[in-house]
Amino acid sequence: MDAIKGFRRFAGAGALLGAAALAANAQDDPVVIGFIGSMSSDVGLSTLRGAEIAVDELNAAGGVLGGRQIKLVTADTFEDVTEGIKAYEYLNDVENVDFIVSGSIDDVSLGWFERMAEYRTPTLDTWTSYIGIIDMVVADYEKYKMYFMNIGTDYALATSLIDFGKDMLAGEMGWKSTVILQEDTAFGSGMGEFLTAELNAQAGIEIIETIVYDINAVDFAPIYNKAASLNPDFLYLISSVNSQVPSSQYVKLQVPVPMTGVNVAAMGRDFWDDTGGTGGGASSFSPLPASGMDHDPVSQQFVDTYMERYDSRPIYPHFNGFNAYFGIKNAIAAAERAGGFAPLDAWVTEMENTDVVLEKDGQLWHRFAYWKPGEIEPRTNREYTHNLKFDITEPYDDGVPPMVIVQWYQDGQQRIIYPPKYANGEFELPPWLN
Amino acid sequence: MVNILIQGLALSGLYALLAVGFTMIFSVGRVLNLAYGVYIMLGGYMYYTAVQVMGLPKIGGFLFAIAAGIAFAVLTYSILVRRLEGNPVAVEIATLILAVVMQSLIILIYRPVSKSMWPVVQGVFRYEGVFVTYNLLVAMVVSWVALAGLLIFVRYTRYGRAIQAVSMDRKGAIISGIDPRRMNLLTWAISGALGALAGVFFATYTQLNPSMWVGPLIVAVAVVVVGGIGSIVGSLIVAHIIGFMETFTTAMIAAELRGVFTMVLIIVVLVVAPKGLFGRGEL
Repeated sequence: MDAIKGFRRFAGAGALLGAAALAANAQDDPVVIGFIGSMSSDVGLSTLRGAEIAVDELNAAGGVLGGRQIKLVTADTFEDVTEGIKAYEYLNDVENVDFIVSGSIDDVSLGWFERMAEYRTPTLDTWTSYIGIIDMVVADYEKYKMYFMNIGTDYALATSLIDFGKDMLAGEMGWKSTVILQEDTAFGSGMGEFLTAELNAQAGIEIIETIVYDINAVDFAPIYNKAASLNPDFLYLISSVNSQVPSSQYVKLQVPVPMTGVNVAAMGRDFWDDTGGTGGGASSFSPLPASGMDHDPVSQQFVDTYMERYDSRPIYPHFNGFNAYFGIKNAIAAAERAGGFAPLDAWVTEMENTDVVLEKDGQLWHRFAYWKPGEIEPRTNREYTHNLKFDITEPYDDGVPPMVIVQWYQDGQQRIIYPPKYANGEFELPPWLN
Repeated sequence: MVNILIQGLALSGLYALLAVGFTMIFSVGRVLNLAYGVYIMLGGYMYYTAVQVMGLPKIGGFLFAIAAGIAFAVLTYSILVRRLEGNPVAVEIATLILAVVMQSLIILIYRPVSKSMWPVVQGVFRYEGVFVTYNLLVAMVVSWVALAGLLIFVRYTRYGRAIQAVSMDRKGAIISGIDPRRMNLLTWAISGALGALAGVFFATYTQLNPSMWVGPLIVAVAVVVVGGIGSIVGSLIVAHIIGFMETFTTAMIAAELRGVFTMVLIIVVLVVAPKGLFGRGEL
């Protein structure tokens, strides 16, 4: 009997020691953050570099969640849906990540989205803006609540584009008709449908025709000739893939009609070199924080660190680089308040309570908060659960607009021309139109 | 209609230049050189490197590009294709793999992003509301000059006639004292030069991109299939059919269907006239 009692005491002490050792190990284990995205594209690299800077700053400040260091692991999607799904599985099955930050394009995010629901891994997207993903979160919150989108959805972006059309294109320039040049993608058709439904109704701009082109098109001469022959006041480009092609050919052909709209290539600072210095007069929307913008001090510090640290393209962070940097800091802060990334519900609640305001000269300049379940955006009268909280009603005093308009000038400078609060430059047409 | 006429004529000239080097190899060596698009890609990237990166004059850029095209074509033939002679399927697989490898190499050196190139000739020609770059018009003229020169070379020079002989009857050419391997090598070198030259105009007209070899290769294959194991003149005619068809589709039907009719044409010709529209004549 004594022997049994002795064994029990010994076993109990052993168990306690084991538990203590495990606890000590858990304390020493790093917090693992996974990056998913293309590691050779400007999009993916922007997110990755934003994540690297955030992680290094957090580690240098003594670690997180009780002094643990963060380990950043990566999985390349090659901008391919199947590879994206495999990458998401790799991060979970092999790297046992606590949190994932994504620089995936829309289609790839859609690919791994269901895997995310199975793994229940907290995930934050920095580039994808597809409204369909947010609609899924709204429709089945319990299933997808671990997902946050750190950029305004394309629906909100399109609403802002309508405002730009009303205020500047129709209001200031006096343009009343357009031909839409729309790429044949899900993003293009979604944006095109929205503009078709609302541009005339809200901005008074008639759409004469919509020309849909294949994203692999390399010869835009017949397209521009056809568009110009319809005599619109301006062309409305919707291009998120291979945008340099329509941009550079617009310049080479000196198309005699102004053009603006969505030109993803023109958002980044590398656009100038990519167009061989011929991009002056190009303008495009860009989510915030945009290249060419005057930044708040915290964002500017991030830019300075980025520029000092990286000397290869993208030479300046795209908006998703900022989104990754602030997104990781917000996710970690939520985890600190919740006691970790698990249990999931606690982290999700704290993430929903995130409200980080960045000011410039005493004005709200940027805000990282997220729409909560059931919360209705008043202008569009719909829910955007876990989307970055945007403000599409002037004077934008409750958040930031989903996008600004970036303008390129002949001297290679890039500035913001809309909305007025963020404007530091003037709308300018290419030289052959002046 | 004026739009289609001017656009179609200019585009067709570029297509003819893109396709003729491919047609030559197919006619002489009876193999589809699926690495042909690489000559076009190399032409574009070498010109870009010489003119926009190194600051060389444009003529230097052309020479650099053409030299690279010739060197790559000669190496492809000497190291790879010659060892696979008599097995066209193996040649096609090997050259396709080579093209993919070269694409990866270009990505490694230049990154996967697209780059815009300055036109060889600045300015835009405008007529009746139609606008076409001088660059494309020059490409059209260069194409005609190159094709005329090629035609003269093939028909009226000793080496050209020797190439024709190998193309028509390899055994007969050997009996006549012609070295078919030497003629093949010469054909590949000419093909490399033409491909690179076309690549410079194609890249300045469109853009530089590591996958830019695919589109022109499809045009070249279409010209060979539709034209048949063909003559240079046949290639010229088919290039114009495709060029005008694409321009017409974009302007009158739907821009996103531009390449579809080329594919449909290939299938129709394969079914209805397997030897192509112009059959097998002289080179």
